[in-house]
Order: sequence, then structure tokens, then C-alpha cells
Amino acid sequence: MEIIWYVLAAAGALACAILAISAKRLLVSAIWLAGCSALVALLMYLLGAPEIAVIELSVGAGLVTVLFVFAINIAGDESTALPVPLPKPIPWVLVIGLIALIGWLVIAQLSDGALAGQGSDNFYVALWSQRYLDVLLQVAIIFAGVLGMMGLLAEGKKRHVEETPGSDEEKA
Amino acid sequence: MNIYIPHIILGVAFLLLGVGVYALLATRNLIKVIVALQIMVKGAMLALVLAGRETSQPGLGQTLALTVIVADTIVAVIGLTLAVQIRRRFGSLDVKDLTRLKR
Amino acid sequence: MSTPAILILLTLGLPWLGAVVVWAVGDRTEKISHTLAVIFAVLAAVAGLGLLLQTGPESVQLADLGGVFGPISFTPDGLGVFLAVVATFIGSLAVIFSVNYMHGEKQLSRYYAYMLFFIGAMVGLVLTSNMLLMFFFWEITALCSYALISFNSDDPKAVAGGVKALIMTQIGGIGLLLGALALYIYTGQMDFNVLLANPDVVHVKLLPVMAYGFLVAAAAKSAQFPFQTWLPDAMEAPTPISALIHAATMVNAGVYLLARFYPAFHEVPGWTLAVMLVGLVTALLAALMAAVANDLKRVLAYSTVSQLGYMVYAVGSGGIFASQFHLLSHSVFKALLFLAAGAVIHAVGTRNMRQMGGLGKQMPFTRVVFIIGALALAGIPVLNGFWSKELILEVGLKFAPWSYVLMVIGAGLTAFYTYRMVSMVFYGESHSHAHGDAGLAMKIALAPLALGALTTWLLAGPFAKLLSTETTLPYHGIEAASTFHILEEVISLPTLIALVVVVLGLLGWVFRSKLSGLGRALRGLGWAADNSFGFEAINRGIVRGISSAAEGLRVTQTGLLNWNVVGIVAGLLIVIAIIALGA
Repeated sequence: MEIIWYVLAAAGALACAILAISAKRLLVSAIWLAGCSALVALLMYLLGAPEIAVIELSVGAGLVTVLFVFAINIAGDESTALPVPLPKPIPWVLVIGLIALIGWLVIAQLSDGALAGQGSDNFYVALWSQRYLDVLLQVAIIFAGVLGMMGLLAEGKKRHVEETPGSDEEKA
Repeated sequence: MNIYIPHIILGVAFLLLGVGVYALLATRNLIKVIVALQIMVKGAMLALVLAGRETSQPGLGQTLALTVIVADTIVAVIGLTLAVQIRRRFGSLDVKDLTRLKR
Repeated sequence: MSTPAILILLTLGLPWLGAVVVWAVGDRTEKISHTLAVIFAVLAAVAGLGLLLQTGPESVQLADLGGVFGPISFTPDGLGVFLAVVATFIGSLAVIFSVNYMHGEKQLSRYYAYMLFFIGAMVGLVLTSNMLLMFFFWEITALCSYALISFNSDDPKAVAGGVKALIMTQIGGIGLLLGALALYIYTGQMDFNVLLANPDVVHVKLLPVMAYGFLVAAAAKSAQFPFQTWLPDAMEAPTPISALIHAATMVNAGVYLLARFYPAFHEVPGWTLAVMLVGLVTALLAALMAAVANDLKRVLAYSTVSQLGYMVYAVGSGGIFASQFHLLSHSVFKALLFLAAGAVIHAVGTRNMRQMGGLGKQMPFTRVVFIIGALALAGIPVLNGFWSKELILEVGLKFAPWSYVLMVIGAGLTAFYTYRMVSMVFYGESHSHAHGDAGLAMKIALAPLALGALTTWLLAGPFAKLLSTETTLPYHGIEAASTFHILEEVISLPTLIALVVVVLGLLGWVFRSKLSGLGRALRGLGWAADNSFGFEAINRGIVRGISSAAEGLRVTQTGLLNWNVVGIVAGLLIVIAIIALGA
């Protein structure tokens, strides 16, 4: 009977996603994205992964939404009811082809059984000892992201820096 | 054929992927592009967690999903920063106005 | 950590640390860049010399990356350590030379950073026993070589030379990667000592592919036939770079590769013959091109290609020791020649030999060291070039007597163009004025190399011991012998014949006016040599073809994001369809 929760959460996530991309205003789009994140987090909790569900909820529905709201406020909230630049059938053909192929490849080979039982692996053990390289790489990625953002947001400072070496050479 | 939970989850994951790809192909606004990327990544995460559960290694599945979340969030950060800068320099977030790489 | 591990880490890590430090310090003061670069290079050379005392056949593991990458392992065996010492020692001399040569240039931090980065990568390349790591270091040396050749990025010729070098050596890199993957598929790990011990672990049909692929990689890296055209165009680099990269280190990587993998591939049918032929053809072709070139650095570049041809010829004939001994001599005297040429070019301001002449009186120190290097190159007795070249000729004689005749002619040609070079630059009428002799830093760099050219042949015995089967290289079959024993082999009839031909070559230039009849008869050959036997034309044709194909594909660049995504998704669809078909 519990399969009904899965179906509801799944359908809800899909609906939120479709609404997110077809919304006219960007702020509304961001809100629907938050909803999609929350429902996906619920799905992951139901699958027996509570730690990642919490992380996904706080990052996806919290951090990313705040980021979007920030960016939309700075960049302007225009409506996007403009026609699609590609010929109409191309997106549909590609997407349906992709889903059909992947679906056929994977689901057809899935074993017919129901959900497998709970595993024996501890999340913390897996994260900190087996995949410690992953953690290091994540730290590196975060560093790179922060540096990139700072570099991208630095405007007007560049011309200043280029002038000083020139004057140094004139003195030397 | 009976519908089991793994089928539902995988179905949702692939459909989310499809929604994201369609949005990438059919949108004209840069910020919508970032939204589409986020949706695709959620599908991938679901598939990873399910895979972890099916091979009785839920810890490993979650760890990989965590890496994906971190990477994807940084992508969103940089993407939104880029969008803001583009809005400042070019005055528009519409893809049709950003064709300077055309030769 | 054991002593060899510490020393290896120092020899590899000090240049890289120096590169980061020099780059971070930036271009504020010229003197700081010079000083830092020299300090790090010299420290690395000291560490390398220390490694000489710690050689052994066991590998040292620094970290384990698991999975496909395998452990980061280095083996301080004789072959690797000797090349690492050459790289760091001559590298530090080139850095010291640059203090004078690059005086007043801009962006020195970029120059020194790339130079140190290159030295470290070369050390890693020869010391590692993990094939994937070897590919990784190989690519780093190619990158640094490109960056340094096109250092004067305002000069389109320099940039073109750098791009050409990069493209041609990258072809080889692919061969190396395929070899690494093949090894992993059949043995489950990346340590090539497994392959050297038993070449049959790789599938019998795949081994020839690997063998010839590695030959292509080595030929591209060492500018052998048919890839010889990138090296002369790379002479747009500043001269210390030419000395370092194109005489003493990077081009040796190809010869190193062939020597290292010889035990695995020498049973592959036709491989040793192919290697020998590549070396033979290159040696002769390049010697001919050197004899007609007028740009001083071009003559030296062709001469490098020709001497590398001798080394490759030796490997093909089975004389691993002879090839490595000549590699040692060549690194020393070729670096000497390049650096001395750099001093001349720096003082006179041109590379064209027809505008030089009579510089012997104006630059006495440079003349002396240049002549020492030239005598070594020509193979005059007592200098190190003589002993190693004669060893190669003896090995070739045993393997295939007909090739010996051709190689002796090559030695005569070498003497001819060497004497031509010396006389055009230092003797005769003076066409231009030199701004004084070489500077102090230049002299400090040149003196040890000149000394080396006079004496490294005395190290033949210890060198053989370093490479021998008992001490470090279990699969190559080199026997240790005393210096006297090795040199005694050289003094024999074939050597006398070779000496006679060399003297004939020298006299050929001296009496060139009397031989003008012969000169006219060979003019057709000279014209062909000047046009590098048509290879430049082939290169230009290929570049033109690729450019026009690229022009045709321009229409796909619409600049619209959505079309780009269509391309990505369509590609993904095709890949998944292929997977689905195979499932």
C-alpha cells in the first residue's frame, strides 16, 4: 500500500518541474523549483536515504532558491512568453527519442523484483573513509566556485591593476 | 507486468531528465536554462540513490549523490553570476540577443 | 620514507615548487626572478646528483590512487636516473645562461616558470614506472615546449613554430596512451616492468600495434623521419630553450622510450629493422640539410636531428648501451654548441651565418668552447663524441654491414658541415661587429659543458655499471665492464676507416673551391635539401586541406544556444543508440 506515497510524490515532482519551466515569471519558476526539490527530497527519504534527503532539502529548496531570488532581483524579472527559436518538432523528437532509448535500455534489464532490502552500509563510513578523495574534490570545487564568482563579480578593478606595472617600468 | 517501486523511481528520474532537456532546447531565457539544469540533476540524484539501495550500498549511493549536489550547486552559483554579468553588459537575458559567437 | 623516495620527490618537486614560486612572485623585479630560478634549478640538480648514489631496481611508491590509475610509482634505475641528471644539470646550466641572455626581457616569470615546470616534468617522465603517469608527463613536456617556443608571442613565426611542434608531438602522445590502455586491459595494472619481463602478457596481435605505435610516438617526439620538420621551425625559441629542450632533454624522450621498451618489442617481426631504418634515413637526410642551411641555429637543429638518428639507429641495431652513451655525449656537446651559438647571436644580433665571420678575434672565449663542441660533434678523437659515435658504428657493423657504410658517409657529412659552420662564424672576413664576448653568467654555464665534452668519455665504465643487469636494469642485458675494456673495443679497423672518412669530410670544406666541379654536380641534391626534401610542401598541403574543411563547417556556428544544445543532445542520442545496439 505504501506504493501510493511513491506515486504521489513522483507525480508531484514531475508536475512541479513542468510548471517551473512553463511559468511566465521567473520568480514563480524559482518557487516551483523549490517545490520540486522538496518532493524529490521526500522521495529520497522514502527510499531509505534520510541524510541525503535532508541535505537536498536544505540545499535545493533553500540555498538554490535564495540564489535564484537574488539573481532575479538583480537581473530583472521579465516575462518570457516569446516563441521558441527552433522549429517546433525538433525538441519533441529529440526528447522523446532520448527518454525512450534510455528507458528501454535500463528498465528492460531491471530485475523484476520489488525494492531490495535495506543495505548494510553506513553513510558516514562511506563518505569519510571510502570516498575521502571525493570530499577533497568537493572542497576544491567549492573553492573554485567561490574564486570564480569573485572573479566574475569584480568589475572596474581590472583597469586599475593594469596601470600600475606600466608606471613601474617607466621608473626602472 | 507489475509496476514496482524501482520502476516508478526510474521512470520519474528519466522523465525529469526529459523535462530538463526539453527546457534546455526550447527556452529563451538564461535563468530558465539554470532551472532546467537543476531539474536534470535531481533526476540523476534519484537514480543514484536508487542504485545504491538496489545494490545494498545505500551509503555509497548517498555519497555520490552528495558530490553531485555540491557540483551542481556550484554550477548554479557560477551560472547565475554569469547571467547577472551578462545582463549588465548586454542589457538582455534573451538568448537571441547573445549571438556574438556566430561566424 | 626511504632515501631514494625523498630524493626522487626532491628532484621532481623542487623544479615544480620553483615554477609556482617564480610565477607567484611575478614580474616586479627582474633580479628576483633570475635569482629564484637559478636557486631552484641548482637545488634540483644537486638532488639529481644525489639520486645517482641511490639507484636500484626496486620501485618506490609515493601514493596509491587505486583503480585504473594505479600507484604513483617511480623506479630509480640507471636509465631513468642518468636522464634525470642530464635534465636537471643541463637545465640548471641553461637557467644560469638565461640570466645574461634574457636580460631586460619582459614577462620573465612566465619564462622561468615554464622552464622549471618543464625540467620537473622531464624528470618525472624518465623516472616513473607507471605508464599512465608517463603519458601525463609526456603531455606536460609537450605543453611547456609549445609555451616556450612561442614565448615571443608577438612574433607570428614563433607562434606558428610552437603550434607546429605541439601538433606533431601530440600525434605521438596518442600512441603512448593507446599502449598504456592496452597494457591495463591485459594485465590489470599500469606498471610497465611487467611488460618488460614478459612481453607475451599482451595479446599477440596487439603487441606489434603497440610496438609500431611507440615507434611513431618516439619518432614524432625526437623529430625523426618523417616528422623532422618541427624541430628547425622551433628554433624561433630563445636560445637557452633550444639548448634545454631541443638538444638535451625533450628530444631525448623519444630515444628513451625506444631504449626503455626495447626488451618488450625487439621480438616483434620487423620492428628492429624499422627502427634502424628510421634512424639511418633521418641521420643522412638531416646531415644533408645541415650542410646547405645558412641560419646558425638551423644548422644546429638539423645536426641534433641527425645525431638523434644515430642514436635511434643504435637502438634498432641492439646497442642500447652505445645509444645511451652517445645520448650522454650529445647532450653535453649539443647544449654547449647551442649555448655558445646563443652567445654569438646575442652579441651580433643576427642568426644568419653569411652575416657573421671573423668573430674569433672579437669573442675568444666563445670561439674556444664552440670549437671544442664542434670537434666533439665531428667525432675527432679524444673528445667524447668520438668514442660514443664509434661505438654506435661498431654496433651497426655487427647488425647490418651495408648500413655501416651509409652511416660512415653520414659521419663524413657531419664533419663537413661542422667545419663549414665554424669557419663561417669565426674565421674569414668580418661582416658584422660583436658587442663584446659572452657575459659572466654565460661563461659560467659554458665552462662545465666544455669540460664535459673533453672528459665524459672517461665515465664509460661507471656508466655501464649503472645500466647493467646486475645493478639496475634487469631486462636489458647490458653488461658492466671497465672503461678501458669498453674503449678498447673502439680502437679497431672500422674505427680507422671512419676516421679517414671524417678527415675527408673536413678537407672537403677546406678545398671546396677546388671541388667546385663536384659541387655543381650535386647542386640538384643541395636544392632538394634546402627545401627539406618536399616535407614542408606536404605540411603546407595538409594545413591548407584542414583549413578549407574547417571553413566549410562554419555554417554550423549559428551562435544560438538552442542549436548548440541540439548538437549535444543529438550526439548523446547517437552514443546511446550505439550502446543499445550492442546490448
